[in-house]
Amino acid sequence: MFAQQLLNGVVVGAVYALFSLGLTLVFGVHQILNLAHGAVLMWGAMIGLFIVTFTGLPLPAALALGMVLGGFLSVVLDLVAFQPLRSRQGDHLTTIVSSIGANLILISIAQRITGAQTLSFPFGTFPVRIYSEFGLRISLQQITIVAAVAVMIVALFLYLFRTRMGVEVRAVALNERMAMLLGVNPRFVYFQTFFIAGALAGAAGVILGVAFNAVSYQMGDAVMLQAFVVVVLGGMGSVPGAVCAGLFLGVVQTLTSVFISSQLSDAILFGLLFLLLLVRPTGLFAGLHAEARRV
Amino acid sequence: MRSFVLTYEPLFEIICIYCGLAFSQYLPLRAGVYSLATPGFVSIGAYAGAYAVLRLGLGAPAGAALATLLAGLVGLILALPLARLRGHFQTIATIAFMEIMVSLEFYAEPLTGGALGMNGIPKLVGAWQLLLFVVVLTGFLAVLKRTGIGRAFDAIRQDPTVARSLGIAIGRYHCLALALSGAVGGLSGSLLAYDTYSLMPDQFGFGMLVTALAAVILGGRSSVAGPIVGTIVLLLLPEVFRPFAEHRLLLQGALLILIIIYLPQGIVDTLGRRIGMRFAARRRALSLSDPRGHGVPAP
Repeated sequence: MFAQQLLNGVVVGAVYALFSLGLTLVFGVHQILNLAHGAVLMWGAMIGLFIVTFTGLPLPAALALGMVLGGFLSVVLDLVAFQPLRSRQGDHLTTIVSSIGANLILISIAQRITGAQTLSFPFGTFPVRIYSEFGLRISLQQITIVAAVAVMIVALFLYLFRTRMGVEVRAVALNERMAMLLGVNPRFVYFQTFFIAGALAGAAGVILGVAFNAVSYQMGDAVMLQAFVVVVLGGMGSVPGAVCAGLFLGVVQTLTSVFISSQLSDAILFGLLFLLLLVRPTGLFAGLHAEARRV
Repeated sequence: MRSFVLTYEPLFEIICIYCGLAFSQYLPLRAGVYSLATPGFVSIGAYAGAYAVLRLGLGAPAGAALATLLAGLVGLILALPLARLRGHFQTIATIAFMEIMVSLEFYAEPLTGGALGMNGIPKLVGAWQLLLFVVVLTGFLAVLKRTGIGRAFDAIRQDPTVARSLGIAIGRYHCLALALSGAVGGLSGSLLAYDTYSLMPDQFGFGMLVTALAAVILGGRSSVAGPIVGTIVLLLLPEVFRPFAEHRLLLQGALLILIIIYLPQGIVDTLGRRIGMRFAARRRALSLSDPRGHGVPAP
């Protein structure tokens, strides 16, 4: 029982990690707390659902399209809601307010389109196959989710730490002005980070939509709150931190809702977040700034 | 006339209550605390007020006083951990506070009725009481603005480092701002309970936060009139433009982005500054024409 719940927690946590990576990347590089990130996840799930339902394309194609369109949605979000604020030295509140506005717009459009209903994928989108190993019930779906998330995270690490573009992104994270003086085009860096964040959120959306077989206009909000905990736990801006914290959170949440109370699970989670902010506001891992010093 | 009053009385009452919410959101922002805890305070006040009337058998004034004290106390307690945080982290912590409150209200069924909500609260306040509430609150905040406290808030918001170098105890003023925000939020919450018959936990979530925050951003973050103007504009827009009513959220979102980009000071503060500049120009012209040169030097 315990090991089974542990496994379920890891699967959920992998998706949280995927989603939180985008949030932490944008915050770490540009110091923007993007509260509309959850809406991008929701739209990724919607796009995946519409593609599978209306065009009959297989799920991998829907996942890929959900990622690409989610990425572009995130870039558009940056251009509309954040870029006009950049020339002006505002306080933190400006970007937060702007992203709350963008979040409202994206959610209410989805609400109109779906008629505020919860949609589900057509039957048999993902084959139901269950293996019994080591006394655990492991479904093909769970294996696929963990494998897909692992591939994406490894790809993100290779990109950030092994390519020239990744070096540029980390240079901007360290100091945007200095990076500009050294010939980095900051606009292209903004494009990259927002596209990657959106693509990861889109992927997380499609995966969540298939895993719970439910896509609704509100699905982003709940995940967004989990992502706060992940991002603070892992350290705002830390990529490895987000991965570890995501897995940890998935496990903790699953275990508390099974063994303590599913109603109190949220209160425990946010209580944890609050305590953590008090004890160690920088998170358990160092930020991207520290990593940026290793080239 | 009578039908007009009957039609718009509920809207007027809601506008008054949301003015209180907007003031609760305005107070910490004015003092440079990035707190989004208002819905949490309002929910504490609403449930405390309703509980006092329904279960403790108190009257509306006593219930409102209890709600104000309780939420103010929670604000004061919340200020202690927030003092250790800055900027974005204060925002995240207060959003967490709001969510903790919502999930506790779902959980504490004996106190709050859980997901079914708290029903059958008698209607104890009318339009006149609510108008009085807004007028008194506005007067209080206007006086606060003129005192040393208001000036200290302004200094902290504009530059915490300078404020500290001038000998302003930032932590103490942050505590004061949050306690006041809690008290005002709690009072508005109790009035909300006495006005709307029933309370549900998920009423005090992001939706309420967005409306309160949008009212402050729209109206202006520095003048006292700002939150009132913001609330009126925000709640009247869907009534005036009927086709917009079903796109209320869309409109609110677009308004938030447009205002923060093009009118970051809000309606009242921008207008106030324009008028102030015109007066300054006039004074300059007067002082130039003054042969003895006793005019006020132009800034």
